[in-house]
Amino acid sequence: MNDRIDKQNSLVNRIIDGSVTIDSVTKFEDLLKAFPNDPGLHRVYGDLLKKEKSANAAADAYGRSAELFIESGMTLQAIVSKLLEWQIFKPSQQEEQAFCSALYEERDEESAVQRFFTGMTYPEIMAFITKLVLEKFPAGGMVKKFGDEENTLYFVVSGALEETAYHRLETGGRIQKKSTKDLVENDFFGELYPFDEEIVSQSDIKTITRVELVKISKSNLIHVCRKNPNVKLLVGNLYKSHVEFVEKEVTMTVRKTARQKLPTQVNLKIFQDETGKAPLDLVGFTEDISLGGARVVLGTKYQTGPADHLTGKHVKIKISLPTASVSLTILGTIVWSKELYLEGKTTAVVGVQFNEMTDTDRRALEEYHYGSAGEQNLIWSLWDSLMVK
Amino acid sequence: MREEQNTEMESAPIIWAVGGGKGGVGKSVLSIILAFWLARMGKRTVLMDVDLGGANLHTLMGIKNPPRTLNDFIARKFKSLEDICIDTEAKNLRLISGSSEVLSLANPHFSQKVKLINHFSRLDADYVVIDLGAGTSFNVLDFFLAAHKKIIVLTPEPTSIQNAYIFVRNAVYRRLSRLCSKSPSLQPLVKIAMDPKNEFKIRTVKELLEFIQESGGKDAAEPLEKEIGEIRPVVITNMVKDSKEKNAGRIVQIVAEKYLMIQSTNLGSVYYDRQIFAMVSDMIPLIRLDQSSHAFANIYDVTTNLLGD
Repeated sequence: MNDRIDKQNSLVNRIIDGSVTIDSVTKFEDLLKAFPNDPGLHRVYGDLLKKEKSANAAADAYGRSAELFIESGMTLQAIVSKLLEWQIFKPSQQEEQAFCSALYEERDEESAVQRFFTGMTYPEIMAFITKLVLEKFPAGGMVKKFGDEENTLYFVVSGALEETAYHRLETGGRIQKKSTKDLVENDFFGELYPFDEEIVSQSDIKTITRVELVKISKSNLIHVCRKNPNVKLLVGNLYKSHVEFVEKEVTMTVRKTARQKLPTQVNLKIFQDETGKAPLDLVGFTEDISLGGARVVLGTKYQTGPADHLTGKHVKIKISLPTASVSLTILGTIVWSKELYLEGKTTAVVGVQFNEMTDTDRRALEEYHYGSAGEQNLIWSLWDSLMVK
Repeated sequence: MREEQNTEMESAPIIWAVGGGKGGVGKSVLSIILAFWLARMGKRTVLMDVDLGGANLHTLMGIKNPPRTLNDFIARKFKSLEDICIDTEAKNLRLISGSSEVLSLANPHFSQKVKLINHFSRLDADYVVIDLGAGTSFNVLDFFLAAHKKIIVLTPEPTSIQNAYIFVRNAVYRRLSRLCSKSPSLQPLVKIAMDPKNEFKIRTVKELLEFIQESGGKDAAEPLEKEIGEIRPVVITNMVKDSKEKNAGRIVQIVAEKYLMIQSTNLGSVYYDRQIFAMVSDMIPLIRLDQSSHAFANIYDVTTNLLGD
């Protein structure tokens, strides 16, 4: 099987995330011919050229990377590429203005960080970004520890981190794990606002993958804010968005419970009204299932009477998950039914409302259909940072 | 047929399977246009509808009543899949219809499924493109895992991203389940770990493999990790309306890498094309789609990328 491009694509991702290094300029140029519009690749190419002391070419690569990041709506990444270009060649005022104009033109304002940067005027943005410091961490590195003084604001340029929050126990000062959340590109962290409070970190922040961050110290940020009051306002809004995001997590659970159409095999026991009559044992499959109920197509074994006779009957459903090692047992009621012609025989499709399931079964069903809490949270974090307009 | 390793005779076709969990994301349309481009490039191609619960590929190809369907093969009216292939109006492109009357096949017996998978590789074709249909049933996952190229289609919507990810997740767990059934020494360990109710609170493949290692199965964990690592799906974001929406596939890629330890390839995106919707509702065969269509051009790029040309 020919999977050259498959491998090449995965190679590009690995080059960008830093897990694969290419030391040959010629080989890199070949790769750029195949992927000319990948801003991340141009950025890494710039790093290589800088290392090779090819200043002009490195500046060009960073410049191209910044342009492409702007086109992709990735303001923070564009700023970092541009700063790297400007570290090589000091920009003229015109060049600075042109870059800021390009940022405003492509502004999407979809994330708090995006709004933060594009909310600044040209002099403000220059005052702020020139104080930024680039920092890289390997996977598994500790960026910030519980108990550290909060004196730095970080922005995630690339990679993913995990924040584990703790709270102190009243007795003995021991700490207990409270929650974890993922931080991905275009997120920020570092609790240093309001400036007049001395805040101690309540969490550990570790890198999951290789990570690139830009940071500004509290003292530099205060200095910029004193000279540019609008920046202070934007910093306030940035932290306010943080609080709003945490509050919004309550509504996220509603989004997660949308019905899914994932056919899953089920065994049903339909209980008869007459006392002493054996329940019907049937095999079927779900066409549509949520935590509240399911639409189940009964197998052709069901041949007893019109479908509407099923409505109101109590059922016990055993759902087999594809993991093959677990089945869940749920008690419910058939709330509607209709006839269905299947394999030349009449059977039924029924709507079952779930009445009773154990907490562990509920969790298992939720995890089967939506993934674990960690997986769901990462999907939503990425959705908010990469997709929300 | 084994994944990523073509052990069949040299002329055995390469299988591309198109899945993605959610219905309505454009799996069938994408399958047709991928197959069309392969055929147009001179590759002898068979397009196959394995959407056993709701086959509609023949309708999208402009065939109202397919004379032969997969049902006829399963019911042993015909001996080989070759016998049920139907010519289409495109050169080099044939169709195997799933037929809309085979609801019973939504849960075929394991032996029927194995028979079907074995017959894929006996088709006289260079490529077989399989439209898997919605859901993550055992059948869909097994067909998906048996293919050389495992294509996941999603749209830039939260539920579609969730479903695409869950599709990959269930495929990984299905593969683990199959592997464990072949290794009696691993079975008890993996079974404990795969049970979502397990007291060890193992929720990810990474945690599962760490658990196996800590339980003394270091030698067993490595081959499992290797097998899982070979799944390597290809993600395509369909119906995008702006450049931002192209990131949908990336979300699946990042989450799958972190939680499932698999490397997927984000192969690109296909722009939303109103013309396709109009053709579907007017019952015009999709292979007559205007080739200047944006989506058509996007799928050409996807096809060439998949081919590695």
